[in-house]
Amino acid sequence: MFSAIISGAVHGLKSHLIQVEVDASKGLPCFQMVGLLGSEVKEARERVKVALKNAGIALPAMCINVNLSPADLRKEGALFDLPVAVGIMEVLGYLPEKSTEDILIIGELGLNGEVKPVKGVLPIVMEAGRAGIGCCILPRDNAAEGAVVQNMEIIGVSTLQETIRYLQMGGPDRHKFIAPCRVDVDALFAGNDRMAGQGTESDFADVHGQESVKRAAEIAAAGFHHLLMIGPPGSGKTMIAKRIPTILPPLSIEESMEVSAIYSIAGRLPKGEALLRERPFAAPHHIITRQALAGGGRVPSPGMITLAHRGILFMDELPEWKRETIDVLRQPLEEKKVQLARSTGNYVYPADFMLVGAMNPCPCGYYPDVHKCRCTPHEVRRYLERISGPVLDRIDICVEAPAIKVTALREKTLPESSVQIRERVLLAREIQKRRFAGTRLRFNADMGVKEIREYCKITDQEERLLEQAFTALGLTARSYHRILKVARTIADLNADTQITERHLTEAICYRMTDRKYLGQKQDMIE
Amino acid sequence: MMQEKETIQNGAVIQETARSREILQIGEEMLPFAYWLYGIPGLGSRTIRHLLMQHKTPYEIYHMPKERLERLLPLSNKTAALAKRIADSREETDCTAVTEQFARLKEKGIGFTCLGYQTYPRRLAQIPDPPYALYFIGRLPEQKCPSVAIIGARNCSAYGRQMAKRFGEELAMAGISVISGMARGIDGIGQSAALAAGGYSLGVLGCGADICYPAENRALYRMLCAQGGVCSEYPPGTRPKNSLFPPRNRIISGLSDAVLVIEAKGKSGTLITVDMALEQGKEVYALPGRVTEALSEGCNGLLKQGAGLVLSPQDLIREILGEISFMRPAPALLSARQADLLDCMGTFPEAADQIKERMLLKCGRTISIPDLMAELMHLSIMGHVNQIGNGYFMKA
Repeated sequence: MFSAIISGAVHGLKSHLIQVEVDASKGLPCFQMVGLLGSEVKEARERVKVALKNAGIALPAMCINVNLSPADLRKEGALFDLPVAVGIMEVLGYLPEKSTEDILIIGELGLNGEVKPVKGVLPIVMEAGRAGIGCCILPRDNAAEGAVVQNMEIIGVSTLQETIRYLQMGGPDRHKFIAPCRVDVDALFAGNDRMAGQGTESDFADVHGQESVKRAAEIAAAGFHHLLMIGPPGSGKTMIAKRIPTILPPLSIEESMEVSAIYSIAGRLPKGEALLRERPFAAPHHIITRQALAGGGRVPSPGMITLAHRGILFMDELPEWKRETIDVLRQPLEEKKVQLARSTGNYVYPADFMLVGAMNPCPCGYYPDVHKCRCTPHEVRRYLERISGPVLDRIDICVEAPAIKVTALREKTLPESSVQIRERVLLAREIQKRRFAGTRLRFNADMGVKEIREYCKITDQEERLLEQAFTALGLTARSYHRILKVARTIADLNADTQITERHLTEAICYRMTDRKYLGQKQDMIE
Repeated sequence: MMQEKETIQNGAVIQETARSREILQIGEEMLPFAYWLYGIPGLGSRTIRHLLMQHKTPYEIYHMPKERLERLLPLSNKTAALAKRIADSREETDCTAVTEQFARLKEKGIGFTCLGYQTYPRRLAQIPDPPYALYFIGRLPEQKCPSVAIIGARNCSAYGRQMAKRFGEELAMAGISVISGMARGIDGIGQSAALAAGGYSLGVLGCGADICYPAENRALYRMLCAQGGVCSEYPPGTRPKNSLFPPRNRIISGLSDAVLVIEAKGKSGTLITVDMALEQGKEVYALPGRVTEALSEGCNGLLKQGAGLVLSPQDLIREILGEISFMRPAPALLSARQADLLDCMGTFPEAADQIKERMLLKCGRTISIPDLMAELMHLSIMGHVNQIGNGYFMKA
């Protein structure tokens, strides 16, 4: 007697379909599982045995062999409990013939036969869809997650008994017993443009003063530029960073699928949510290890930078980060993905995030306020030099947040709300979408030298202005392209097709000033 | 410390030595012996001056019997020891060795001058306690050119930095030598500005003239060596040491006609230089600052005590040269909004938000942050405004 159940496994970010083959034959009574199993999969044997007993099914004295195929792929996770149990039931004749055909089953079992949620449901169901499978039996808590895959019948189950009864039924009765879970993705996302950010507590209207920083955040959000905020403690850097997701354009359905799959694998999807609708906001503490940031483990699980994919990676107190930790960002910032090599294979995780950094200008935090700052110029310079140059080089917009005055906090007029700002950002995004239609680019920040030449054309007059700026302000060649990219975004925010002098001068304002000015070297060069 | 004790013991004698003008004029052939004499450990400028004051040349000292030396040396419990040192040193280095050692110094590109020799700065020879000799790289200041010491705090504010730059620049353009200590902060900024404006500047070091201290001023040091000069009373190779810096301040003020204090705290090393300058009878000028500003306490204090009040480089140039020899070029045409904006800005770095607020209060103009940023950058490019860091602006 033999049966084969379809199940799935996640390996890195890739998912595979797995055949759970069960055979029961006469011989010495035993229960074996093979197929390059991780220890949590091996333990499935004990869980299944007890769960079956508690479901009222005694295992006969037979030799039961379970093989998870393909046998050369390492299997991890507790999601094979349910398919193994169902396979055994089928072999023992509890289920009618072909009742499990064309059905993918995953789920973890409790000893009482309860089916518990598992990680990585979304990518597995997507893989099943690609393979032409029409129905999936999932733990009930994961049902909504799987239901976002179109043309797929999703059955959420909460116990082993329920699963057996469902499979024992034939045809239409089944659907009467458990109705397939449905999620209308389009409805979920319809109106997402307007409503996003409203559900959350934070709003830009809470931030009084700091208008130049808010403006910089708006530009950064519109062009997906990396942003660095420098300011004394209590100037509202963190407050503003936390509100940037509220002005970012909402996730599109495709983006959401992508991000939700990552969160599903990491087991971080909010309970009962079908898909993520808000852009991720990851704010790791600076003591994070390199592995936790980039992704780690023998079979790596996604790191913070991957969890920030399509969203924001907020790094507070940037100079406090270990240099090696920050340096991890160099490849992801360049290639928008992170590649990890392990003995179990090579893994590529996407990491297309917007880096938002915040830092104090000096160890005591109050530079350039000479009344409060107790640091020597040397200390100030050392503090800034802790950040690796290659990372600073990728930051397009740098803005300084001055200490906030009490009068600004008491102001009666309400600052602009996130919704108002978002409207402008959306407009700029729309322009970018049209501009980059048919290319691999999405935002102005993605532009390379070739694209800059094509899309950031400036007239001779502006060229002269830039030249003047170069000599007067000591700009570097590297800052040239960054200024043009930011100027492009500023023009887009204004819905101007041509970059003008005004856009350029504002963009120059946000360049990364050579921080050496803090000592006196710059004065000397002048 | 020891020298000080000597001063107390031989107060009367030392007072007399102060008239260093009475030292015999010497020719170039005598320099190697002066170098030898200055290089004897334990023999300070005061003692050497005392020896030479009695109508002797370094050459004569070299050949003098020990007993006569003992009689010539200032009377103290160390007289015999000093005479022995001179005699010992003489035994170690014969006449040819003396010349060779001096040639080696020259090979290193280090110049040497001493009291009585024509290149020794005349201003310095007239102070109460001039160093017997100076080691220098580059040029010493022109004797005929007026000179001003620009001094101030190491840890200065953006205002001080800007003022030091402006004064250094304009004084240099008026043909005035800028003397200072090449320290971090005001000193170095004033000097680099003077050099950048094509003028002359001299750095007086508290270590050997061949050592760049502080190391961060390496670029300035190189420029000084090429375009101006650095000098020191300490032999080449002397490492910087705390105790060496205060004495060099008397050389800074001694080489200058006037001393200008840009920014100084209430208790500041800068004030040592001022004391020296007053002792030497030099004019002291100071730049006023806010009363509440710690970094202006020293300056305002000096002004209260009667230091010359200087509001612009022209003030000082007029005082020193008797006329304005240089005018700042007229500013380029500004739009009304830009002119208002400049009106609303001060010489303290301020955030854009503050400037925006002031625009509204003072000129009744509302200006959006993007526009303001663009205008400020425009003014920076034109040179009217300085951007400090990424969010602060001040008038240039």
